[in-house]
Amino acid sequence: MPANDLQLLLNLGFIVITAATFAFVGKLIRMPTIVGYILAGIVLGPVLHLVELDHSLELISELGIALLLFLVGLELSFKKVKDLGRVALVLGGIQVLLTATGGMLVAHFMGFGPMEAVFLGGTVTFSSTVVAIKLLDQKGETNRLYARISIALFLAQDIVVIAALTVLTGFGGSEPLAPIELLINLGKAFGGMAVLLILTLIAARYLLPKPFAWAARSPDTVFIWALCWCFLVVILAHQFHLSVEIGAFLAGIAIAQLPINEDLHRRLHPLMTFFIAIFLVTLGIKMELSSFAAIWPTALGLSAFVLLIKPIIVFNILARMRFSEYTAFQTAIASGQVSEFAFILLALGATTGLIGPDIVALGGLVGMTTIALSSYLIIHSEALYAAIARTGILKLMRAKQEADSEILRHRKDHIIVVGMNALGREIVQQLTLRNERVLAIDTDPKKLEGLGGADTLIGNVEYQSVVEEVGLREARLVVSALQIEDTNHLLAYRCRSASVPCAIHAFDLSVVNDLLDLDTTYLMMPAADGILQQRQLMQQEGIFKS
Amino acid sequence: MTGVGILLVAAAIAFGLAKLLRLPPIPLLIFVGAGLHELADFWQIAVPEDLLSNMMELGLAVLVFTAGVDLSPRRMLGRTRAIITVATVQFLILGLAGVLTAFALGYDLTTALYLGCGLSASSTLVVVSHLQRRRQMFEPYGRLVIGVLLVQDLFIILIMVALLKAPDGLLESFFGLTRAIGLGCVAVGIHRWFVPWITRRLKLDDEELMLGALGILFIFCGLAYLLKLPFLVGAFFAGFSISAFPMNGLVRGMLGSLSSFFLALFFISVGAALTLPQGDMLWHSLIFIIVLIVVTVGLVSIIGEYVGYSTRASIEAGILLSQTSEFSLVLALTGMASGQISGELFSMITLITVSTMTLTPLISREKIAWSLMKLHPRYRRGELDCATLQNHAVLLGYGRAGHQTLQAFKEHGIPVIVIDDDAAVIRKLIADDVHCIQGDGSNQRILKQANCAGAKVVICSMRRTRDSKIALDYLKEYPTKVFIRTFEPEETEFVKNSGGIPIETARASAHSMLEWVAVNLRK
Repeated sequence: MPANDLQLLLNLGFIVITAATFAFVGKLIRMPTIVGYILAGIVLGPVLHLVELDHSLELISELGIALLLFLVGLELSFKKVKDLGRVALVLGGIQVLLTATGGMLVAHFMGFGPMEAVFLGGTVTFSSTVVAIKLLDQKGETNRLYARISIALFLAQDIVVIAALTVLTGFGGSEPLAPIELLINLGKAFGGMAVLLILTLIAARYLLPKPFAWAARSPDTVFIWALCWCFLVVILAHQFHLSVEIGAFLAGIAIAQLPINEDLHRRLHPLMTFFIAIFLVTLGIKMELSSFAAIWPTALGLSAFVLLIKPIIVFNILARMRFSEYTAFQTAIASGQVSEFAFILLALGATTGLIGPDIVALGGLVGMTTIALSSYLIIHSEALYAAIARTGILKLMRAKQEADSEILRHRKDHIIVVGMNALGREIVQQLTLRNERVLAIDTDPKKLEGLGGADTLIGNVEYQSVVEEVGLREARLVVSALQIEDTNHLLAYRCRSASVPCAIHAFDLSVVNDLLDLDTTYLMMPAADGILQQRQLMQQEGIFKS
Repeated sequence: MTGVGILLVAAAIAFGLAKLLRLPPIPLLIFVGAGLHELADFWQIAVPEDLLSNMMELGLAVLVFTAGVDLSPRRMLGRTRAIITVATVQFLILGLAGVLTAFALGYDLTTALYLGCGLSASSTLVVVSHLQRRRQMFEPYGRLVIGVLLVQDLFIILIMVALLKAPDGLLESFFGLTRAIGLGCVAVGIHRWFVPWITRRLKLDDEELMLGALGILFIFCGLAYLLKLPFLVGAFFAGFSISAFPMNGLVRGMLGSLSSFFLALFFISVGAALTLPQGDMLWHSLIFIIVLIVVTVGLVSIIGEYVGYSTRASIEAGILLSQTSEFSLVLALTGMASGQISGELFSMITLITVSTMTLTPLISREKIAWSLMKLHPRYRRGELDCATLQNHAVLLGYGRAGHQTLQAFKEHGIPVIVIDDDAAVIRKLIADDVHCIQGDGSNQRILKQANCAGAKVVICSMRRTRDSKIALDYLKEYPTKVFIRTFEPEETEFVKNSGGIPIETARASAHSMLEWVAVNLRK
């Protein structure tokens, strides 16, 4: 293939190698990967000019955003969504109003004109769905109550942003839209939202369950079908002038009602991680550094507003809504950065001539600063909460002290049995009869049926996320009945690393040595055990003399 | 985004069809991709060339990289000689047959070389999924086949370098190969020292593992570019460099979803880039397909047995290897991009690949392997005196437990006849002076020949439950006790209902394990 045809590969090469370098260096100095990615982007773009954004990279970034929100949706059952509706409406409404007003006032006092103040107010109001969810995901807490409230808040903000973008696009085209056309577009957006919601409900109930149940035993088919569904809804959302985020999120909710949702989530996660890393690096590439020297004091002031005042607003609203101090604090911290939508908003403002390029650069710098700092705050939010709670400041805001009720599943002293073939099922049944806490795992949901008192999980133990979810480190024993050599090796290796005893199916003599090398505690050898049983049966039947 | 959405819809249709028709997804993906192209032509919609080319680029890199990740030398441990012998002989002779056929059909040397090389490698993706579905990945023949496939991938990568450099002269081809081997040596160094060191020293999470693995991919691609080699050579060696255990296992989950996504879109894009071959090319494709299947099955059956595998294993390996590889597509794509072969020839190689991949599940049925086994010369020396034995034991199928079972009967002074359809097994038993009959244990004539009616016990280890049923029905009227090995509970139930005595291997193993738990793992 000629070299000029390989531009995408070349760009990706630079991006991945630089991002990996920053991520590894970041690991040594405890820097969140997001910050590393953005720095990698700044090095590749404004500093060295090695990568220029093109359509392909933009597409990959968009795919990342869609997948991220699809995964968020995948974790939400209808019950959880119902609970979040009111929160999204109240919290989102009040927060947007208060923060935007506050932001405009701050900008006004900093000496900006009315239109500039409006845009800067808008910039500081919205939080980054992608950044916050990525960090919550990294912490493994997307299923916590505060994470769900954060997501509800961000999605409510997205709707407001979409309305704002629709209005601005109306002003900004080569031929500005008439007010009636603007209203039609807005109507389309909100009507589209209603259509998508109804589609989600119908799909979850009638359209998706049967085909996905039919394909359940073929993980690759389920994987591609789920992606196909996600992008179909995203395209539909686009037709209604809705964001990729909203389309992907609703597509995820529809699949979340199916039994394979957790396994799908794990399988899609690496794909999202790759695409979203590209997206974050491109954020850095887009930075314009030339005017930073002149605008940094103002940027610092606005960043302080985003990092301090916005979280305080969110905290207070949640405290009034009777959420606990802990939940309110964590949600507030998650909201302390500027959204990537703000960049689009500012760019549109500049295109329409409503603001100058200096405001766009200022918004960019505030965005980068707040995203970088809030990454640290979100990653270390537990320690931060403990430290601030000790000072007693939070009590002044009179939030509920009792913890919110949320079910956190923590497995301990259990026995994990992987692979529900005849051997695996027999072991699970016998262990359950002995009152052991058993967790049965298989990639095929059908094989997990009828296992009585055992806990079950659909998944592939080759994924680190599955290993963490099943609590391998806290298990008493791990048993693998699988006849897959590679997976058995990996499981034995992970058990050895975690000092957990393991019993592995040595289905052939050729696998025995490798398993012994991996310090497998017990080898299950049906062929040899069968010969022993055969000998006993021969004696019982009088063929062999005892 | 709409373009990606359309490609994904096409991929979803292909996967659905593959599941419905029980065929490998790759040919269907290519087929649906070609259909997409035809539809676009019909409705006069412009095909987004940029998107297709980007997907092909990324798909190629991921495909070759993941093949390299699977190329762990550990997989070949203990059977290296057999694997190298089968892989080399098959690759060379099949390649030669392909080149000669191409010459006979009037193609020039370069085209003939591309056709020969394209024909000589088999598909790792199709074979692995087939073996997984039949749970034969780790049976001796499964291991042989996987080893052969991986070695062939390496051959193709090196040949690609030689072919691409060929227009610049033999010396440049040689230097190209030397540089490729040099890059391979760097990969070996990383594989042996750097990756194990980093696995021990750093506790990397999923994201870091994936970034690290992809970082290595791009570094190697960059090195290949600097060495004036195709980037795919770099991608392959990058994969090899991280194929050491446990790194390969740790990244497999992460790379799995990336490769599922990109490969699906890659094959759709390949299909969409095809121009349908016409007239002569269709006939030529058919001739190449016949040459491929006949030569591969015959050749691998003979060499497999020669290097110590059973007849059945060798035949099954031959059948499973009789399709062209996704690497053939890679080779053809590279040849087309460099202008060495025409778009039509690329389409012909793709057509051969699609057809042979589609044929694989159809021809690798047990029935076909059985009928081919009948063509093997029969050994009769072990049959002497079989009919005169009384109160003896008969083993229907030698299987994994055959040796120990034979020993147990020997200890108790009970004479044994083994019935097995595998010529290589029978040859070995004859050498060990064991009574044996080469034939099908579910054939009443053979059961009669072994005097099963007068036997004390019959032990059945045949694969299919319905074969055991024939033996059970035949022996119903006689006092002979019939023991049948079972793994699944349904098999056990079936044996009990049919009057046999099941040897429940899974249950026996579960009980042994639970006894160990009771003693060693107190609460």
